[in-house]
Parts: sequence; structure tokens; C-alpha cells
Amino acid sequence: MKIERFDLIVVGAGPSGLSAAIEAAKHGMKVVVFDENARPGGQLFKQIHKFFGSKEHKAKIRGFHIGEQLLKEADDAGVKVELNATVAGLYQDREVVVRMGDEVHHFKGDAIIIATGAAENMVLFDGWTLPGVMGAGAAQTLMNLYGVKPGERILMLGSGNVGLVVSYQLLQAGCQVVALVDAAPKIGGYGVHAAKVARTGVPFYLSHTIKKAEGTDHVTGVTIAEVDNHFQFIPGTDKHFDVDTICVAVGLSPMSQLLKMAGCKMEDNPKRGGQVPIIGEYGETSVPGIFSAGDVSGIEEASSAMIEGRMSGAVAAEYLGYITKEEKEEILAKLKASLGSLREGMFAPKNRGKDIKETEEGIPISTNLLHKGYVLDSEIERFPGVTHKKGVHPVIECTQNIPCNPCQDACTRHCIKIGSHITALPAVDETADCINCGMCVASCPGQAIFLVNEDAGDRKAEITLPYEFLPLPETGMKGTALGRDGQPLCDAEVTRVRSSKAFDGTNLLTISVPAEFAMKARFFKAAAQA
Amino acid sequence: MAGRIAQHPILGCQNENKKIVTFHYDGKEMKGFEGEPIAAALKANGVMVHRYTLKQHKPRGIFCAIGRCTDCVMVVDGEPNVRTCMTPLAEGMDVRTQYGVSDKPFDQQ
Repeated sequence: MKIERFDLIVVGAGPSGLSAAIEAAKHGMKVVVFDENARPGGQLFKQIHKFFGSKEHKAKIRGFHIGEQLLKEADDAGVKVELNATVAGLYQDREVVVRMGDEVHHFKGDAIIIATGAAENMVLFDGWTLPGVMGAGAAQTLMNLYGVKPGERILMLGSGNVGLVVSYQLLQAGCQVVALVDAAPKIGGYGVHAAKVARTGVPFYLSHTIKKAEGTDHVTGVTIAEVDNHFQFIPGTDKHFDVDTICVAVGLSPMSQLLKMAGCKMEDNPKRGGQVPIIGEYGETSVPGIFSAGDVSGIEEASSAMIEGRMSGAVAAEYLGYITKEEKEEILAKLKASLGSLREGMFAPKNRGKDIKETEEGIPISTNLLHKGYVLDSEIERFPGVTHKKGVHPVIECTQNIPCNPCQDACTRHCIKIGSHITALPAVDETADCINCGMCVASCPGQAIFLVNEDAGDRKAEITLPYEFLPLPETGMKGTALGRDGQPLCDAEVTRVRSSKAFDGTNLLTISVPAEFAMKARFFKAAAQA
Repeated sequence: MAGRIAQHPILGCQNENKKIVTFHYDGKEMKGFEGEPIAAALKANGVMVHRYTLKQHKPRGIFCAIGRCTDCVMVVDGEPNVRTCMTPLAEGMDVRTQYGVSDKPFDQQ
């Protein structure tokens, strides 16, 4: 039996695995990455939204573009990626057994990095096995990778970032989202993700869950009902929807079986998503030479997974003597600062399960945002991004501390201030002059920035909003302005449509509405759609 | 083709320049794109049920779409238990609903 040897074997060609391989290969290591899929990139190529973070985290770049960059980087670094290669076993002395086609191959790695990611969780309800019930990730795969609609009328269960982001993507794919449902009393994901779904008119049902998926051979409808504090159904609260598809986004579990098989010390840690290896700061497991990175060692997101990958790659390089301890420390210090800034804010891993009532600035969080997905007109004025002045000015409806700051860099006139602490709420500097360039609107991954001219003459106001749907309205088109709640407010006319390479797919729609709706109108529906 | 996203606001035309192939689903002729997962082509053609379970004869369809759950397995070119979400579509493929582990309905088994 022939056993091929590598300095480093990485399992999983997603964001963390590729990053680990790139870092190790950069230091001269002979690296191979195995992945069971036909394409590399893990889930990155399904992420079509702009990422959060700051420039160093590739913020405001869409996930699939980050995936393309990562593949190129891996290629340039000489990383070998073996696809359709399922790692079936990890044995003593770091022997790796890989199924490729109908053959089983044996490899040996002086170091191993496990970056196998996570799988979707499921909840059981009556009819959950019916065709038409699928993971939100499955829906994302169908529409964003293969251009196929997962369904026509869809109910989403789960209001974490996956549920919110996939709901928005379903709308972008031309599907109808009839409701967003979560058993929890509060929306789990970013408020800005919820708000961009809510303003299109999708209703949120918190403290509700699915009672039954209806249909004999496939889903034809769904009944949800309200639950009490103990997650028991409250009689008489049933609500029925005609749907053909139910998407479930109720969290992820680490796929850590290989680490367990290799004899790494494991723990059951609900805060990290389930069975995870007990690891050091940089992914060192209890078995020397075996490291882990990304979701497999604790559910987070792609940006932090990429940094964890780099860290474990650097640690593996030092473990095998390709870099000195000092070189490693230098690399890790930078990465640690970068990862640290992503793990700040109210959604940070350390804050999971905490009931946060105020922002870091001491401003009360919008309770309506947490329950209904949008900030009330009466609540919005208390946030530092919402100001008033003559002429066009940015209105930033960013009301939670999340690690994200592209708006600050986007504004060349320094109208927007976040400061060095990237979770701070963006504030608008009223003394700086907005030139209506629209870069802030397009750069906000949360689509939370609007350019407002409260007095555009003739008792009209003009609002420029981010728009990522088709068909793209045209100048002169008449329709209805919707409020943050997605309800019709008033007549509106499109006065300008801007698309540009610099906006990266986000179109800027300017609508004219009666002046009194300047701070209320936040979405546009063309006459035929309204 | 029905069920396809003709034009996507971010991704544009996702299946541009892909070759259209013909395949058979339970004897019926269907079209799909070469190399896409069989499951994607079936979904685009409106097929919901991929198989019926062995013991309770319950229907199953696409569930995870990434090769983990095995709900979408079908009989492909005579071979049962083929994960349709992971197997690329090719010209002339014969795709059949799987009943238990057979392509014959239960009353004919």
C-alpha cells in the first residue's frame, strides 16, 4: 500500500480550510486540501450578500466574490485542492483515509487541520419530512448556485442571520416569502437584516412556530401557532398559509466526527453549537499536530472562520519548524486583533443568550425591531445616524452594535463617523457636506443607509434607497412608497435610478414623496406590483 | 424553463452558455443543464417527490441539497440510492422515483 505524505493535510475547502492552507503554503509547506464536494469554497459561493466587518475582513464585498479571491490566492500559493474526495477516517499517527471515486487512498500528514464546517439543524413538527420542507441552506444552494427557485410561496422558520439573509435572497430570486416565523420571543439575527426584509412587506411572527406542514405527497400549506414562555402552543392562535415550500433555519451543528475519531478531547458546548473539540486559542486540539478551524470548533460565520484558518495555518507552520516562534507570534498578534474586533458588539459569542436592552452608547434598543423586524417611526430619531439638515443628507438606520464600518470609509466628505471601535453606531456629522454620491448607501451591508432631502421643493421630499431586486424601476415610474413596516404609505414617483460598478449590484433608487413622509418612506413598489 | 430564475439581480443570468440536455424522469422526457445536480433539474421541472421510504412508504424530496441527508436519492441509470443533489446531470440519463430501494412501485414489487 502506497501512502503519500504531506506536511499538512487540510480537511474541508471552505473559508477556514482554504485560509489555513494558504497560510501554511505561504511558508513553504507542502499542503493538500481534501473536500467531498465537486466545487471548492464551502458555503461561500452561496453567500450573495455583502459581508460585514471592516476593510481587513473584506467588508462590503459579496461572499461569492470573497470565495473567488480565496480560490485565486490558494492557486497562487500552490495549494493542491482535491475535490470529490471524502475523508472517511483519521487514524493514529495522522493517517488520513480518503475515498476518491470508487477507490480508497491513504495519506499521511505531519500536521492535520480539520475544517469540516457545520450542518444544518432541524426541528421536528408534524409533516416535517414532506417534500417541500427543506433547510434554508438547501434553498440557498438551489437558487444561488443553480439558478432554480426553491419554491413559489415560502414560509421561513428561524430569524437568525441565516433565516433573515435567505429570506431576502428568496425575494431576490423572485419567490414570495409569506411569513418569517421564530419560536423565540426576539429576532435572533442582525436588526438591519430583519429590517430589509420587513420593509418589503414580509410579516414577522415571533413567539410562533410550525404546528403542521400540510399535504399528502408534498407541502401545500402550513399552520403556525403562538407559543408561551415554555414553548407550548397557545390554543386558538393558529394561523394558516398556503405555501409550497417551508424553509428551516434553526441553527447549525459542528461536523466534528473526524476530530472525535482522531481521539481529540471533545466537549458538548451549546454556546459553540454542540459537540466541539476542546482547543487552544489558535485551534490546537488535545492531540499534537491536529488542529481545527472554523465552524467545526464553534459556530460563527465566514469572516471569523477565515481568520481562524490563517491562525491554525501559522501554528501548524511553526509546529513543523517552517517559521520561528517569533514569526508565528507576529502573525498571530495581527490576526488576533482582527478576530477580536469581529467578536465585539451585542451579537458577539460572549453575549449569546444575554438580554441586551441598550446600545454601547446607552441608547435603548428598539423593541419593535426585535419583535417585528423594523424600527418604529417614534423610535428611529434617537439613533446617532438619524439627523436632519437642509439639502441631501445620509440617514443611517443602524441601531445595534455590530462589527461593521464600511460606511465610514465610503464617505469621502467625512459625513459619517464610527471611530476606531468598529461596533460603535455610525453617527452623522451635520457640519460635513453630503455630495449625494450614494457610496454610503451602496456600501452598507445592512442596506440601512438612505439619502434624504427633506425639502426637495414643491412640498416633496426625495429619498434614495438601496434596491437589489428585478425588475429595476425606471425614472418616471409611479408606484407606492412603503414604510419600514412594509405597509403602503403614499404615492411615490421614481426620479432617479443609479447603477454603477462601484455600487456592486446595489442600485440606488431615488423616489419623490410628499414631504411629510421623508422620514417614513423606505421602500418602493411599482404600480403593477403594489 | 419553468422554475428557473431567468435573470437574477446580483448573479445575472446564472445558466448562460450551459448546454441543455435531455433526460428521462419516470419515462417522461425532460430538459436540464448539463452538469447541474439532477435534483436541480428535477426541481426546475416541478418534481417534488424523489422517493418513497421502504417501511412506511412516505414521500421524500430535496432536504439538505448538499449530500448529507440522503432524502433525495433515486434510481439513476438502474442504480438505486444515487444522491441526486450531488450527481451531475448528463445527456440521456434515466432517472426514476425510488420505492424502497427499487424503481418499481410497491404493489409491483
